[in-house]
Amino acid sequence: MKRLRLDRWTGQLLLARPGASPASTPRAALRAAAAVPSRCAAVRSQSTGAAVPQIPREDVDDYYDGTDHTRFPPLEPLPPRATSLPSPPPERALQSAKLAALHARLSLPERLPLQTLARALVDASADENPQFNNTTLAFVGQSLINYHVAEWVMCRYPRLPMDIMYATMKGYAGASSLHHVARAWGVEHAAAPGGEVDPGLLQFSLHKPGDAIVGLGYRRAEADGMKKYKWRHGMSSRVVFDDDFGEVVDTEDAKDELRLRRDTEYGNEYTRALAEKAFATCARAVTGAIYAHAGRDAAKAFVQAHVLSRTLDLSKLFAFAKPTRELSMLCAREDFEPPVARLLSETGRMSRTPVFVVGIFSGKDKLGEAAGPSLEVARNKAAMNALKSWYLYSPGEGVRVPSDMLADDARPWEPAYIDIGEVVGR
Amino acid sequence: MEAIATRPAVACCRRAASSAPASTRPILNTLPSGARQKSTAARTRRALNIPPHPSFLTQTGNNAEGRPTTDQIIYNPPSSAASVFHTPFKFLPKNDPRRRANLASELFASSATIHFNTNPSSTPSSSSTTAEEFPSIEGAPRYRARHHLAPADIEEMRRLREADPAQNTVQALSARFQCSKLFVMMCCQAPREHRDKVKADLAQTQERWGPRRRAAREERRARMGMVFGGEL
Repeated sequence: MKRLRLDRWTGQLLLARPGASPASTPRAALRAAAAVPSRCAAVRSQSTGAAVPQIPREDVDDYYDGTDHTRFPPLEPLPPRATSLPSPPPERALQSAKLAALHARLSLPERLPLQTLARALVDASADENPQFNNTTLAFVGQSLINYHVAEWVMCRYPRLPMDIMYATMKGYAGASSLHHVARAWGVEHAAAPGGEVDPGLLQFSLHKPGDAIVGLGYRRAEADGMKKYKWRHGMSSRVVFDDDFGEVVDTEDAKDELRLRRDTEYGNEYTRALAEKAFATCARAVTGAIYAHAGRDAAKAFVQAHVLSRTLDLSKLFAFAKPTRELSMLCAREDFEPPVARLLSETGRMSRTPVFVVGIFSGKDKLGEAAGPSLEVARNKAAMNALKSWYLYSPGEGVRVPSDMLADDARPWEPAYIDIGEVVGR
Repeated sequence: MEAIATRPAVACCRRAASSAPASTRPILNTLPSGARQKSTAARTRRALNIPPHPSFLTQTGNNAEGRPTTDQIIYNPPSSAASVFHTPFKFLPKNDPRRRANLASELFASSATIHFNTNPSSTPSSSSTTAEEFPSIEGAPRYRARHHLAPADIEEMRRLREADPAQNTVQALSARFQCSKLFVMMCCQAPREHRDKVKADLAQTQERWGPRRRAAREERRARMGMVFGGEL
């Protein structure tokens, strides 16, 4: 493993708790960590030797947090009052093997200090103080991730309808995907947050969700009615009001029933959603931290490596109401000949399991083809395939995105392909 | 072809024979004596032991036993339909470079062209199939929008529908005015009593359905919904 060069780390975010400790620079923190005297000599309960009697020092009253250290000896020397803090103090980040391992495993830039990485692992539900939790980093990170995913999807699949675009965004940058990303990094979570926890563990609480704002979107006045009476909300209002994935910004009150049951069950939908959110926020915060310490290009490369490199089958996202009609409207709009379904081949027409292969032609050109157990099913599936191949048009694998122009030696920009719009309103 | 009557067919024949009048019985006796049931494992195995499809055997490059001599993988039946990520030529935008790349082949053949390279040493033969060779499965030709109806025609259509909705059905009006049924339905609506009567007729019909027919229709609808959702 590459040796971390502590002297090259920047200390921008290390001053998060001014005055809390003399360790305000990494070197000073190291020195302080080495010089911290163990508040109590570790007592080995199984040892045959006589236990050293504890002599309370004068300053113990100040730091004493009620823990009986003779019965519960600390595994490592903790700084004073660590157990009474909601999250581990930043200077402990340098002692965490898990944190250094995570830093190395992700090949993070050396300029990203361990303290910031430790801060990215503290969820707002664990520590409400925005100077110590990852809310601000996650906000930057989620803006970056969503920007890079959105521009890539827009340039790579320029004909996607808006709802499919939203689903794609969610598939790449949504909470459940980023949760999987963070899990794949090897991020583990602590059973409960606290100052004594290893800083290399993700810390979040299932009991107080926290009200950190990590996304954009308006809280709709009619949100309750939409949920209760299934009020229609069209695509335009979703674009204006809802979050980056076109989902209604939800309130916590809506989950009261699930929240009440969270302790009696091993884990329910609510707790899973909270954990998923915490992991996703952590992944976003790491991206934000990279942006803060290493800059734009490193953050973009990180998003491409960890988010956009994932495989998402866009053809599975589509659902149609009347595919044949939609295809007819498409052909009329684009001045193609009207689509005609033709039977390409068939087998077992009189049997229990016939197979018909139907192709949809516009003039001489075949637009789509599908097999089905009846002519009607095969025709609809062929129309759906034709529509999918229209919507999933791509200019190519190596399509350029607008943020490529931020490089110094960028070639002149050629306008990206922009489609005139959807065939039918949804 | 070898005639092997399967078990249900024999049972059906036997049932038919026992219930049929005496005059038809001799027909059963004229069944070939080789008609056998697959009652034993040996007969089943023999029945299922079918030779490979002739297209495997007659290919060039096969040896005497019909086995391919090269490492080439033969997909038989061929692989499934083209991926939806391969945009058809017609759907490419005007300025797409792929349009220019296969312009020549598009000029002389349709995209439904199938080339069978029968002789690898010579150039590909020009055996091609056009779209028109495949039978259309569309129903009766629908009326395209021609925008030929004047407001007076639409008034007339409404009057007819109002006057006798049972006689002037949507289909009849569509045929009479040479427009689509959708357009007729956009223009006029049957009077309320006619709609109620149609609804009552339908309810009466559904009343007669048993549980099996009802469940079958439900399932068919659900399956079609799954098709539209891309699940089937």
